[in-house]
Amino acid sequence: MTQPLLSVEHLAVHFAGRGRLFSPDPPPVKAVNDVSFTIDSQRTFGLVGESGSGKSTVARAILQLVDIHDGSIHLDGDDVTRVARSAELGFRKRVQAVLQDPFSSLNQVHTTETIIGDPITRHLAIKAGDERRERVADLLDLVGLGHEFLDRYPYEMSGGQRQRISIARALAVEPDLVIADEATSALDVSIQSQVINLLREIQRERDVAFLFIAHDLEVVSHMSHDVGVMYLGYLVERGPSDDVYAQPTHPYTEMLIASIPFPEPGEQAKRRGLRQTFKVAEPPSPANLPPGCPFENRCPVAMDICREEMPAVTQAHHGGEARCHLHTSGPELGGGSVVEFIRSEARGNVGV
Amino acid sequence: MTGNSNEPLEDADLPAGTDELLEDVGHIPTPSGLSANKTDSPRRRFWRRMFKNPLGVFSMLWFLILLVAWVWPELLATHDPFKQDLTFTRLYEGPSSDHWLGTDERGRDFYSRVIHGAGFAFRSILIAMTIAVGVGVPLGMFSGWRGGRLDRAIMWVNDVFFSLPIILLAMAVIIILSPSLDNAMIGVGIAMSTRFTRLTRAVTLQEKEELYVDAARISGLSTPTVLARYIAPNLLSSLIVQAAIISGAIILIGATLSFLGIGASLDDPDWGVMLNRGRNIFRTEGIWQIVPPGAALILTVLAFNLLGDAIRDAIGRDASNNALTISKRVDIAPSDRPHRPGALLSVRTIDVEFPSPGKEPVQILNGVSLGVLPGKTLGIVGESGSGKSMTVLSALGLTPAPGRLTRGSVQFDERDVTSLSESEWQEIRGKDIGVIFQEPIAVLNPAIKVGKQLMEPLLLHTELSKAEARQRAVELLAEVKVPDPERRMDQYPHEFSGGMAQRVGIAMALACSPKLLIADEPTTALDVTVQGQILDLLMDLQKERGTSIILITHDLGVIAEVADRVIVMYAGQVVEGGLADDIFGRPRHPYTKALLDTMPQNHHGGEGDDLAVIPGVVPAPTDWPVGCRFAPRCQYATDRCREEMPVLEVLSDGVIVRCHHHEELSGEAYAGRGEVSL
Repeated sequence: MTQPLLSVEHLAVHFAGRGRLFSPDPPPVKAVNDVSFTIDSQRTFGLVGESGSGKSTVARAILQLVDIHDGSIHLDGDDVTRVARSAELGFRKRVQAVLQDPFSSLNQVHTTETIIGDPITRHLAIKAGDERRERVADLLDLVGLGHEFLDRYPYEMSGGQRQRISIARALAVEPDLVIADEATSALDVSIQSQVINLLREIQRERDVAFLFIAHDLEVVSHMSHDVGVMYLGYLVERGPSDDVYAQPTHPYTEMLIASIPFPEPGEQAKRRGLRQTFKVAEPPSPANLPPGCPFENRCPVAMDICREEMPAVTQAHHGGEARCHLHTSGPELGGGSVVEFIRSEARGNVGV
Repeated sequence: MTGNSNEPLEDADLPAGTDELLEDVGHIPTPSGLSANKTDSPRRRFWRRMFKNPLGVFSMLWFLILLVAWVWPELLATHDPFKQDLTFTRLYEGPSSDHWLGTDERGRDFYSRVIHGAGFAFRSILIAMTIAVGVGVPLGMFSGWRGGRLDRAIMWVNDVFFSLPIILLAMAVIIILSPSLDNAMIGVGIAMSTRFTRLTRAVTLQEKEELYVDAARISGLSTPTVLARYIAPNLLSSLIVQAAIISGAIILIGATLSFLGIGASLDDPDWGVMLNRGRNIFRTEGIWQIVPPGAALILTVLAFNLLGDAIRDAIGRDASNNALTISKRVDIAPSDRPHRPGALLSVRTIDVEFPSPGKEPVQILNGVSLGVLPGKTLGIVGESGSGKSMTVLSALGLTPAPGRLTRGSVQFDERDVTSLSESEWQEIRGKDIGVIFQEPIAVLNPAIKVGKQLMEPLLLHTELSKAEARQRAVELLAEVKVPDPERRMDQYPHEFSGGMAQRVGIAMALACSPKLLIADEPTTALDVTVQGQILDLLMDLQKERGTSIILITHDLGVIAEVADRVIVMYAGQVVEGGLADDIFGRPRHPYTKALLDTMPQNHHGGEGDDLAVIPGVVPAPTDWPVGCRFAPRCQYATDRCREEMPVLEVLSDGVIVRCHHHEELSGEAYAGRGEVSL
């Protein structure tokens, strides 16, 4: 088997609370716990989850923007868990990112030529001048913007145009991996589909892998070959995106799917029925996780063991993994889909 | 330019109340769309605002004079400031044609000495400011960027210096070196550097968290590059303001030191020295000797402060962009379309214009109509800039300034409300119309307990006593399914999660049992699993209370879930409307169809398949095409579409559509929907 491009093993990121003078520090916020996945080159791995799920923290950990508590990250076999200062430049050339907010991720005081040109100068040693300008123009072609954008400032552009500039900046140094953190979330629907198609086209044309992070499972599963679902810092399910979408093995994944409003009233009425089998409850605080499964209080099929013990990772039918007691206790689904089980349970509960 | 006010009232020929349709017509770009359209660079806007501000102009003029007085004093001065004329009669002379401001105790020309005084003032600023900025800014940047213990240590030392009186520091330096104004200014510079350290650190701390700084770091730019090219430019504006105000203080301190005799030497034409001399003799010679240097000093310090204010105002955001400023009412041309019988809210052909300086006003809504039946839900869907929020705001007398409602009529609960005064509207809006906003947390006052905020509308609009209002508030919280409502009443907004806060927002909107509920993107800021719960809650409440709901959203899925009827808006116009089942099942307008196609939910094709896209972007209101506004992005567009704006047509099944080619689309049932896992 060939070596994956990126391999994340048992990653944990905790944010220490800082108490006031003379009072004890509050417990750390466990933002990411025991997260493992791999991305092969030229593939896309999607991470999906709601706010507070830790999906962006995973991205920031890979990008060396937060301290890693535990676990390891390897890029092409090299340990990049904590990149030394001397190796940082080389690492940055290989891993780039497109961030969420197209309005604050570009510095207002520079033109496109400078925004995209700065990393070119830094990594490829091409000073500002005709050659660099030409390279930037080529990148604009790649992301579908005209050359008149070379001298424009971010405040002269729409959200979609800015996000294209961000993509061009990320691709400027020809990275192996691009992390897209909610890169399309702030855009209008018609613009979102343009940007998603652009990313897919870039992947076909250039030798680049994506870590695509979003809260919308529809968008993520469309973008990605494989997908990971996060809940309160844990990766609760991981597998090929079509299979995860069609036959999820974790109740939370099923809840996410049922929650996505479907643009057709009849279909949506069905989804609503399914959605309503899940309990309305506040998720626990990541600073004070329960001993058992963090999804237990919202899960329609929770068992006693779920309150007491954190489930272990089990093999799922789609070749990925699930972290749920259903597979080893109670009905012992053994890695199978939870869809039928939840529906029959739900019918039993409401007497349908 | 779209201000074609002569355009036909496109739906004027429609049969009235074409059964339960919410006929709408209108374009709806938002004010933000308007301002995005005028490309005024920040630099130009800065100077334009500076010259528009009279105080800014005054201070700039004053500095121009001082600058000349400093660089080239001979140009302004009439005499040598040091030339004495000890003839007895030439001392303490009053103003004359030869000596404009008279002479001092040695017969020197007072005017020329005041002019030369500018040089001393600027020299002081130059020395002190060089040190203050040179030390303070790099230190503050380093400290803020580095963070941690070192940052705290640096700021601790900085605060110690900050708390020392500036004059004391200046004196300490004079004692160590030698008494002179320049040396005193070294001390002042050190003292002032603490101000810059604090400011720079604060801005650096804040900018450090900005996404574009993350992006720069991810790009691999070195720390000095990030600081110099990404953080420093954003620091500049605050620094300039601070420097202007501190410069005034430096002059004042310099004058104080000279006045005390430890600054400039006694013969120098320094404003402080002159004041000191004037003070010595004002009992015998009158106060005139104090006036010119005193005036120069006051004016200069004042000018520095005014300049600081003017710069800050010129950099700041435009206060008039505040969308909640309600515009003044103007004459409103009536609509020629009858209201829908039985509708709770009926809006007929409203136009909204935004004035554009020096040009014809930009029409951003024209002829929009809609109707909401009692107990039903109307969904308004459109992308940003389509005007969906503007439509509802304008219908409820809340047209954001400087926009103006210029045509149309609005009927609420059988009453013509088109030209109500703001106070009349407030009564209706508070009681009969409730509003739910996108950001529930932003609507709640963070400093007031949630229960108290919930009681406010009850006390204002009903006769309830305080205790009854509290009881009612608890019931409301229970009704929106907030667990443990008694305890929640005494909590502050920050103790609520987004979903719980939105429940409070709904409770507030429901407080006075309104007939109509306006929900503007009520779930956009929420997680998807919470969104479902909030929509369920809204539907349940509607069933129980019979409230009508207008739901504004960009998400067709949300519309499909809750709306009975839908209108689709594009570039300020209603392009399609009808029963939700008809719109989703068989979209007749190419824009509606294209919107549905772009949603990933409707796309479960093979791996290599791309999503359907709508090419291009929604045009700004000033660039709306003459013909069909969607034509430049439409795959069905023909020459006719580019030249002639289609009117809203009512089809046999009651759907309204604004398209020349709707027949081509309506033949086929919508087939874009894919297989779903449910």
